[in-house]
Amino acid sequence: MKDSEGLTATTSGFVLATAVTVLVNTALACVKDAYAPLKVAMRSVTGHDWTTQGLLDLALFVGLGLIFTKTRIAEQMSPSRLTSALIGAVVVAGLGLALWFAFT
Amino acid sequence: MRITGGDLLLLSHAAFGITGCLAALWVFVEALGARPANLHRIRTASLVAAIAIGAAWICGGYWYLHFYPAEKALILGGPWPLAHNLFMETKEHLFLATAMLAFLLPIVARERLDSNSPARKLVLSVAALVVVTGLAIEGAGAVIDHGVKVALLRSAAKESR
Repeated sequence: MKDSEGLTATTSGFVLATAVTVLVNTALACVKDAYAPLKVAMRSVTGHDWTTQGLLDLALFVGLGLIFTKTRIAEQMSPSRLTSALIGAVVVAGLGLALWFAFT
Repeated sequence: MRITGGDLLLLSHAAFGITGCLAALWVFVEALGARPANLHRIRTASLVAAIAIGAAWICGGYWYLHFYPAEKALILGGPWPLAHNLFMETKEHLFLATAMLAFLLPIVARERLDSNSPARKLVLSVAALVVVTGLAIEGAGAVIDHGVKVALLRSAAKESR
């Protein structure tokens, strides 16, 4: 069987969408914690800011995944770069959230 | 012994979370030796991971919204307020990242992992991230539980004096 070295448009698109969603989720968690009116606004949408954030993450993941798949924008990145971007985004999210809530 | 709906939800949340982590670990181990014969198992395990983490989200989310406020008040009034201020705050937001990674897993597992090295590395990375963040979240859950316990113990000690 011939070896292939690329990823499909769907895989590339959803990997990039996940990295972006994870970073947006982290930024939103910190901003709503620092800026109460945003938390209130998010609460008014579903009854709880965390529920709104979860639904927003899901919409971003699916929406960006479909957009990146259709436009083939993520395919321009090499698989190793996409993998590194995803790992980097999750490391930033984990450390960022822990440090933010430890020092605020 | 009386088991309430809240107890069931909380235990289901933790059980589904661990199931999701184990399924992701299964994906990781199978992907290390990906070959045509085990591609179906990898895809099945990745789907199990996504469904289990989704179920953990629903159970934990409902419990968090309806049952956690009383525990939060106990924790904040007890000797371990960081169980909420640091551990729950980090857990509830990091969980959303873990959920997205778990939903990504069945998508990346559709690649031909037996003949595509970059795709295999990607699946290994996503599965490892689900396991590591999932276990960190499980650990945070234990700290939150301990925050409630020490608050109740202190309250009971005060009453017995």
